[in-house]
Amino acid sequence: MAAVIELVHVDVSGKGNPILRDLSLAIEEGETVVFMGSAGSGKSTLLKAAAGLLVPDQGRVLFRGKDLARLSRDEEQEFRAMSAFVFQDAALWSNQSILENLALPLRLHRHSITGAELERSARKALEMAGFEGDPRDRPAVLSMGERRLVGLARALVLDPELVFLDEPTAYLDETATGRIFEVLAQLRAHGKTLVVVSASSSFVSRSADRLGIVRDGSLVAYGSYEEAVEWSDVSLRAVTGRLRPRQEAWLEPEEDGR
Amino acid sequence: MLERIGRALRAWLHEVSYSLGFFYQVLKESALFFRRRQVGYRVLIMQILFTGYEALVVTAVLAMALGVAINFIGASLLSTFGQGKLGYDLLIVVITRELGPLLTAFIVIARSGTAIATEIGGMVVNHEIEAYVSVGVNPISYLAAPRCLGVVISMIVLNIYFNAFGLLGSLAVMQVIHPVGMDDYFRNLFSVLTATDLFLGLLKSFVFGIIISTVSLYRGFSVENASTEIPVAGIKAVGSCFLLCVLADAAITAIQYV
Repeated sequence: MAAVIELVHVDVSGKGNPILRDLSLAIEEGETVVFMGSAGSGKSTLLKAAAGLLVPDQGRVLFRGKDLARLSRDEEQEFRAMSAFVFQDAALWSNQSILENLALPLRLHRHSITGAELERSARKALEMAGFEGDPRDRPAVLSMGERRLVGLARALVLDPELVFLDEPTAYLDETATGRIFEVLAQLRAHGKTLVVVSASSSFVSRSADRLGIVRDGSLVAYGSYEEAVEWSDVSLRAVTGRLRPRQEAWLEPEEDGR
Repeated sequence: MLERIGRALRAWLHEVSYSLGFFYQVLKESALFFRRRQVGYRVLIMQILFTGYEALVVTAVLAMALGVAINFIGASLLSTFGQGKLGYDLLIVVITRELGPLLTAFIVIARSGTAIATEIGGMVVNHEIEAYVSVGVNPISYLAAPRCLGVVISMIVLNIYFNAFGLLGSLAVMQVIHPVGMDDYFRNLFSVLTATDLFLGLLKSFVFGIIISTVSLYRGFSVENASTEIPVAGIKAVGSCFLLCVLADAAITAIQYV
């Protein structure tokens, strides 16, 4: 299967300190790839580099073989329309209502959409994410958990092919976590490519096709879920120790959001 | 020692090249603002409302007070030396050419310069800018260009208001305190007021508008990840704007007399 996203010898630094070092990997169309690692290991930076939200100091990020940093304006719009990013802290636009947060991507990428269609699409995405509040509210009045659900809805509103999720179940209660798992399962069933940073072994056990371990800005291990369960290296087991073979994982109860 | 100097020089050159690049991008996107499909008309209107409309009262009061003071000097102090008519030259030089644009700029710096820098800084810290990029919105064309245009338009409009209230409003106040003949006033005023005076006043407002908006935006976008950087960005924006506006004012005035 063809790689939808490929990182080639990527280096990223912040304030002169290296965050990612010579990182290379390929993500294939339709698979769910999860990155795990300790706090500060560079997982979120890796996700942002893969999504083209930051430009590497060295190396290239390829989207279906094209360098993200060299896309034309139209090509970049095409990439943005078919990809979405769910931020760890939701990153909702605080000066806009929830409905407006979802309306902006629709207005931007579906030029002929009517006001009624726009509102219907936004409400459908909110419902799919499990948000039950008033969409006319501003993000400031929402709890962090609710913001995360709205952030997920904003990412889903354009029905993207490629979704990047940074700790999708962080700050969420058990019900909301379960809802997120359902949504992600639906996306997987529809053949979407999911690139996820997660510390939830429950999510990884149920959903990951491929697992990557990030340590000190380097990808120290990258393989299929079945391979990851078998990894015997002590430092890798510290991260993957709670992973179980797939059949057993479905028998275990869901864990709470972090 | 040499290494430290070299490192500092490299950092300074990087900052200068980055700020020049930012300045160029903002001006380019502002020039193309009305031709872009993805435009922030609402941002533009809100910026004009905040920077221009809401500053009208303080601008009018300041202009009238200054106009009254100059009228008093012309009518009393200069008249004792037989140079009463010089008061009109003084009025034009101060209100139209020099202090009018500069005081208007100071009002806009104090209100909008800090607001722009802190608002954009807050958006950076909350990852709202990255969220715009992730859905395909260019932050320069959507957030920076309308703010730049809004501040420039507001500066020009406020300067026209400053002239109206400084030259005409002060006359109304003078009719109460120290009546002067209206026919004489207008005849003398228009005999010294030239198109060059008006042009220079408006040119300064245009230049100050560009300085205030781009410097404030630059400071806001320079915030990295800590909320404590936001007030610092506001303070730096005010300091830089004051300094650059005064220098630009001196340069334009000097060119005029060379």
